[in-house]
Amino acid sequence: MEADDLLQLLSSRQARRLRVIENLLRGRRTVSTLFWGQRYRLLYLLDLGKALTRGGLDGPAQALVDRQLATWEAEEQPQLRLTPAGVAAQHAAQPFVPQTAVLWPQLDINAARKRLLLGVQVVSEYQHQTKRYYPLATDLATRQLVRRWFYQSDRQQLGTALQATLTRSLARLPERVATVTVAGFTGYQQPGLTNQQLAVRWQTTAWQVYLMHIEAVVTIAQAAQVATDPLSGLLGPLWTVPVTKSAQATLAAVQAGGTLDQIARQRRIKPSTVREHLLEAAIMLPEAAFPYERLLPATTQRTLLALLPAAIDDWTYTDLAPAVQAKIDFFTFRLLAIWQDKRGDSHGKSNG
Amino acid sequence: MESLTASLERVFGYTTFRAGQQAALTALEDQKDTLAVLPTGAGKTLIYQLYGYRHPGCVLVVSPLLALMNDQVDRMRVAGFRQVAAVTSLTSFTERQEILAQLDQYRFLFLSPEMLAQPAVLSRIQQISLSLLVVDEAHCIVQWGPDFRPEYLLLGAIRERLGRPLALLLTATADHTTRIEIAKQMRVTPTVVAEPIDRPNVFLDVETVANETEKRERLLGLVSQLQTPGVVYFSSKQQATDTASWLQEQTGLAVAAYHAGLSSEDRFKIQQQFMQDDLAVICATSAFGMGIDKNDIRFVIHYHLPADLGSYVQEMGRAGRDGQTSVAILLYAPGDERLPQALNETNRPDDVTIRRFYATPQHFSLEEPGIRLLTFYRDHGISEPAVHALFERRERERRAALDRMVAYVREPTCLRQNWLTAFDQTAPDHQAKTCCAPGGQDLDITALGLRRTPAEAVTAPNSDWQTQLAGLLTAAPAVPEG
Ligand SMILES: [Zn+2]
Repeated sequence: MEADDLLQLLSSRQARRLRVIENLLRGRRTVSTLFWGQRYRLLYLLDLGKALTRGGLDGPAQALVDRQLATWEAEEQPQLRLTPAGVAAQHAAQPFVPQTAVLWPQLDINAARKRLLLGVQVVSEYQHQTKRYYPLATDLATRQLVRRWFYQSDRQQLGTALQATLTRSLARLPERVATVTVAGFTGYQQPGLTNQQLAVRWQTTAWQVYLMHIEAVVTIAQAAQVATDPLSGLLGPLWTVPVTKSAQATLAAVQAGGTLDQIARQRRIKPSTVREHLLEAAIMLPEAAFPYERLLPATTQRTLLALLPAAIDDWTYTDLAPAVQAKIDFFTFRLLAIWQDKRGDSHGKSNG
Repeated sequence: MESLTASLERVFGYTTFRAGQQAALTALEDQKDTLAVLPTGAGKTLIYQLYGYRHPGCVLVVSPLLALMNDQVDRMRVAGFRQVAAVTSLTSFTERQEILAQLDQYRFLFLSPEMLAQPAVLSRIQQISLSLLVVDEAHCIVQWGPDFRPEYLLLGAIRERLGRPLALLLTATADHTTRIEIAKQMRVTPTVVAEPIDRPNVFLDVETVANETEKRERLLGLVSQLQTPGVVYFSSKQQATDTASWLQEQTGLAVAAYHAGLSSEDRFKIQQQFMQDDLAVICATSAFGMGIDKNDIRFVIHYHLPADLGSYVQEMGRAGRDGQTSVAILLYAPGDERLPQALNETNRPDDVTIRRFYATPQHFSLEEPGIRLLTFYRDHGISEPAVHALFERRERERRAALDRMVAYVREPTCLRQNWLTAFDQTAPDHQAKTCCAPGGQDLDITALGLRRTPAEAVTAPNSDWQTQLAGLLTAAPAVPEG
């Protein structure tokens, strides 16, 4: 990721922790990372930069500061805020803004992309009756799945059907996204262009090209949710609830009526783990899918909201009086912040 | 049993062997352990593929080059060998378990040395029947380089534990001393099959420049004039990447970088683009070339000094596989030998580190390659003084190898003779027009017939995405060429 890409992830109205952005990209799903990812509206970055090393954004961040597009704000963790010049540069770049971002955490994007690319290649070579060709280098599981999908499909129709569904999905996207996506495909007499090569051709960055590819993959995978879509067997199963199995089980137990301590004993997990599971679920699921009312009694809500500042980003648990902290634990405090965030969102107010 | 030639025709569709293949196969058919010293591109893999085809059991191939192994597996699958698998540190845990559970189904198994050294893996392999043990890049047993794997030192012992299967040791570069050392380490007395390594159609050129700026200019000049396709080798990823985009801007040619830092998807795409001539020039690190069988590479330029003559020969040997005139150019600026020297030194733990490591090994991080190496030695009961001696010997060897490389650069009369003598072979008489141009003598691209005729600007047919997608997924009726 280059400095220009990081620029697009920052704001002038909200100082953002560099480490949160890094952890989102690397797929480090701690509650704190997810919470701030939600506050920054950057949860779609989850898992998109698996190859990023720890500290991998330090260079690009410093470059932005050196170019006076952003400034450091000293906190317990370094935070970045855009300067007015940074805001101008952000708009001038005319970045690609993904429209399906809210769906990204619900799809296993890396697997979907690998399956789609190999699937397209296999069908393309089959259509042109190529017997010997180099298949895209990918893992065994993907190879086996694509092979099974290919042999279970009606191969006479597959080329035409695949072309039709891809055309329908890509036509819903901006022309540039569709063009970049197809140019990145591998198949008969087409090795496909790398993100870097597409970036040069379109005068953008490899990261922006990558985002366009994902926008296309997600759109194509959406169409594959319909059973008759030729890609349904390949991509359909990759849609998931964006919460770990274990956290789902904890949430189900809460919805069934247990207290948090009962659930911890039943599930043989630590009480703190129960709370982490619930916070994860609250962040990642829609407001209606989480029992906020049960876990946050109205009196607790009123007490806390009276004590806390208006902007959620300014809430600090340790700023509360010790007597309040003794009565209201961090879990409750954080859950309220998540709920306020979601309610603010649904009422159309911006907290940015 | 059918004759070797009949098998060759049945499996590969060829009617004749290339030099060295038949001799090696004949030795193996006689159940003789074999050391095959064959130049790059001689078709070494065919030897074990054909042997594996003719004999029941599994061919186990140990190779230190991870990227090479995966390429090799892909290529074998393309060629119709289905029961092939590779297990390396890049293989996911699940995939590894799956392969090991069904080991007896594979006819060809590629393993990295560190995988083979794992007791769990080794005991699984002891349970299957091996027809042949192949050690690829066997010179890595005795050479210290970025590809050096300490586990290679265990191969002799491992072979004993596997019940001494028939062994095939493959290398492109092994002078007399290296051959003896390989045999000793592997505990074999092999039949040696060695073929002439000279590449008469590759013109050799060394050019001395004053400094980095001049070198860059010269590179640009060469790439602008020479017939493509070509490869430029660098010893740093960053420089390969930067120079690729610079050359593309300056020359208008299609140039791309290739190195181990790219994703496997990108490496695949770049390789295939080069294979089908979408790219004119590749700026590469030594990661490039293993899986490439492109015959018409017209030039190989080295921007940095390789660490030893063996590596140089291997890389420049990718030029002109089709037998057509090609050129291998080494650009040298005074002091260039400092870079490989520094790389050697960073790869090697210093005396103080060794002493402190042996005193308190728990204080060191396994993240560092040098420490991993020390841990390996210590775990295998090698004492501190022995390790010191080992490193000193390696260091001497590396220095000698680098000196040998520098001697090639400084060769005043005949580069080919210099090279071949180092590999115990005799060179043909030097002919200025077709043999070489040592430093100080000009390279005449036109006389070699390698000057690029200015091609008409090709504008790629920029079809819209719908047409491109249709072209991929539906077979269009054949359109006449031209
Ligand atoms: Zn000569």
